[in-house]
Order: sequence, then structure tokens, then C-alpha cells
Amino acid sequence: MERNMVDVRVEDLHVWIGRKHVLKGVSMKASPGSVTAVMGPSGSGKSTLIRVINRLIDLIPEARVKGRVTMGGIDVLSADPYTVRRNVGMVFQEPNPFPHMTIYENVAIGPKLHGLAKDKGELDRIVEWALRAAHLWDEVKDRLDDYPHQLSGGQRQRLSLARALALKPKVLLLDEPTANIDPVSTGKIERSIVEFAKENMATVIMVTHTPQQAARISDHILFIYEGRVVEYGPTSEIILHPKTELTKRFLEGGV
Amino acid sequence: MPDVRRIKEKVFIAAIVALTMVAVAPLFHIIASVAIKGSKAVIEAGPSFILDTPAPPGASYTGGIGPALLGSAWLGVLSALLGTPLALFTAVFIVEFRDSRLGRAARIFTNSLLEVPTVLIGMLVYVVVVVPMGGYSILAGAIALAIVMLPYTVSYVERALDGVPRTYREAGFSIGMTRSQVVFRVVMGIARRGVLAGILIGIAKAIGETAPLLFTVGSARNNYPTSPSDVLEPGDAVPLLIYQFAQSPFDNWHDLAWGAALVLTLIVLLVFIAMRVVVREVRV
Repeated sequence: MERNMVDVRVEDLHVWIGRKHVLKGVSMKASPGSVTAVMGPSGSGKSTLIRVINRLIDLIPEARVKGRVTMGGIDVLSADPYTVRRNVGMVFQEPNPFPHMTIYENVAIGPKLHGLAKDKGELDRIVEWALRAAHLWDEVKDRLDDYPHQLSGGQRQRLSLARALALKPKVLLLDEPTANIDPVSTGKIERSIVEFAKENMATVIMVTHTPQQAARISDHILFIYEGRVVEYGPTSEIILHPKTELTKRFLEGGV
Repeated sequence: MPDVRRIKEKVFIAAIVALTMVAVAPLFHIIASVAIKGSKAVIEAGPSFILDTPAPPGASYTGGIGPALLGSAWLGVLSALLGTPLALFTAVFIVEFRDSRLGRAARIFTNSLLEVPTVLIGMLVYVVVVVPMGGYSILAGAIALAIVMLPYTVSYVERALDGVPRTYREAGFSIGMTRSQVVFRVVMGIARRGVLAGILIGIAKAIGETAPLLFTVGSARNNYPTSPSDVLEPGDAVPLLIYQFAQSPFDNWHDLAWGAALVLTLIVLLVFIAMRVVVREVRV
């Protein structure tokens, strides 16, 4: 899976967590260079869907997965999860840079573990690139040895983003990355996401709660309700002409 | 009517205060008598108290606890070297494989170890180590102390690792870390304060123990264990010296035991202060 573009296809995906049937036959497709927004009410299975794509679902012992997920043609569900995750970045709802590592170490750890840098100079360049890509560099370039708790919440989230970007993932997953983030940082994160998708031909899948955010940065919208796909299509189409009453109500803030 | 309630309330509070004082009084008594009688002995002997060997029984001076102090240092270091890695791995195992049968067994086993009288641990080591080796040794004592410290360190470290929010584990996995990388680079790093506290509590516990040493180190009151090969020889330890000298009929040995008690208390206190100061808290 080196350097070439990687699309993500999900076919008839079912997930059970314990006895709860969380995803009931979800299919979708996300292409390189585009941003796909996954929307839907709380508990509809959005987070579960993206956790299947990078196999974080494996961490939940009582979860059971059926269906087909491919990344660039490779079967994700039967592949080695560590290889999958090494190629798939993820940003979570709560900013979670490692609190015991400095800003620099947080970004450098991924490339270091996977041997992406031959020497310190190259590592420095990757760290700077990732922090610039996350629009955080200008704020932290003189304090790379500070710890995350010395940053604001929005800066911490951009640091989490930089940590994910440092591995130059072919697929980037985001789970409501700006849910608790200030507007300035939100704007920077949104810009980073779009730039990363376009400039690196990465496939980006983002769970979001706000229709405005989906409208601003996504190319496609996947709307899930109670574990099923209700609507899927180009963003402008879904925002302007929602086909179902449910989507319409959600977009108006009613669900 | 409200007056009755208020009176009841006051009686209740008075009872609580009184009972608390009863519970705490022994501690104050111990600390006070150790401080008073101990410092008298230490001051009279001067620096020789921590350097010299004990005086002969019935002499007009106390002598020192040099060999015992050196022996305790060896015992502390050795038991930590033996017990800490074992405790860390056990704690990790219990946390990582909490739901597996073996994980649950390890948890129950270490918890039960906490309840085993330490004198039995001493007897076990006597049978398993002392007899085959042909004699008492500092190493045998250290093995007994390592077993004693194990459950304390395990339960402390286990709680520390458990306290690390799940989101950091997820973050570690999300950048392609293996399970052991997540455990040792992320979870242990974040919980390092608790992990170190657990290690130090184990050491403090081990340094203060007497019973596991009764059948293991011997009481080589006059040997200074200075070279590493001396750990295969019999040695002495401060709590053991206190136990045996306090029972003796000689006044100068009683004084020596009081002084040793003060030194032991200070050492344990120092370990706890070090624990608070040295380990920088990870702020989340």
C-alpha cells in the first residue's frame, strides 16, 4: 500500500457489540482526495463505523463484525491490524496527545516507531511538516519541549491531528474532531483536513454533528440512522435536496 | 424537639473524636518514644552509631549498627531488583488480560499473597533456598523480601495502570503501536507516578519487615557486607537487630535497639518523601 492512492469500500457491514446490533448492513465508498462526512444522531453507529475501518473495534472484546471492508483492494478485516492502523490516521473527539510526552515527541513518536526517518534532521523535518499541516507550527515552534497540558484545548486537538498526519496516512479518520473545540481552532482543523485530502490524495472520513461543517468541507455525506444508511451522496445534493424526511429534519436540527 | 436532635448530634461527634483519638494514640506513642529514646542513644554514640559494630553485651556504651545498616541496604536493593520487574509484569498481565482465566488467577493469587503471614514466606525461602544453599545469606533474605513486596507493588501499579484513560490506549493503537508498545510507552509513561510509588511502597515495606528474615539472613552482627560476593554470606538487617536486641537482658543493647528503631523510621520516612518529591506528576 505504498504511496498509491487508497479508496475505502464498505459492503454490507454488520457490527454487534454484546447483544446490541449496532450496524445493520452499512455500505459506503470513500475516494482518494475527498472528504466524506458521516452524519446522524447520537448512538446511530457513526463512531463504530470508523472504528471498524482502522480495526480499533478489535479493542472491544464483545464486538463482532460481519461484512466486507477494503482499503485499496486489501481486505481490512483479515489483514494485520497493526499494518492497517499504520496506514490509517485517526483523530478522536477528545484531544488526546500523550500527556507524558513533549509536543515534539508526540508528533515524532509515530515516524520513530515505524522507522520513517533515517536521522534526527529528517525526523525534525517530518515533525515540522506535520505541525504545519495541522496549522499549529507557528504557535509552538519555539516551545516544542513544552507538554500538552500547557496548550489550549484547540491546540491540543491540532497536536493530535499532527501526530496522525506525521505518518502520512493514506486514510484519515476523524471522530467529531471539533465537537468541543473553539471556533478559531475549528477553522484551522477544517482547513488542515481539506488540504491534507487534496494535496496528498488521502481518503478522509469524518464523523460530524454539524451540518454546517459537513457543508463547508465534505464532498460526500453519509447519513446513518439506527445503524442503517438513510442517505448517501454528494454534499450539495444532500444539503439542498434531502431525499428523506429524516435527513431533512436532522439538517434542520430536529433529530 | 430540635434540641434533642442537636444534642444527639453533639454526642455523636464527641464519640467520633474520642474514638479517633484512641485509634491514633498508639501511633503517637510509638513515634514519640522512638524519637525520644532513639535520639538519646544516637546522640550519645555520635557518628559511630551508624558505622560501628554493636558493643559487647553489658558494656557501658552501645556501639553501632553499621553491619545491619549495610545489610539492610543490600536487602533493599536486591529485593527491589528481584521483586520489581516481577511485580511490574504481573500488574501489566493482570490489567491487560483482566478477563482471561489466567489474568483472574494472577489477580487472586497476588491478593492472597497479601494475606499470607510473612513468617511463612520466611519459612518457605528457608526450605527452598537456605537449605539447598547450605546456609543463611543476604540473598535468601532478599528473595523472601521480594515475595513480601510483590503483592503491594502489584496492587499499587495495577491501580495506577487502570487509571489511565482509555482514549490514550486508543491513540497509541491508532498510530500502529503494538500492544506492548502501548503498555510500555504510553500507559506506563502516563502512570509513571503511580508505578514508581508502587515500587517505593514495596521497598519501604520490605525494609521494615522482620519475620521473613528470621530464617533467612542469619544474624551476622559483625560482618560488613562490602563486596557483591558477600550477599552469599550471612548478614544482618536493622529490623532483625531491633527484634533480637530488644529481647536481650542488656541495657546497652536496649538503647541500641531504640536508636536503630529511630534510624529505621527515618529511612522509611525518607523513602516516602522521595516518592512524593522525585516523581513528577503527569498532568492530563
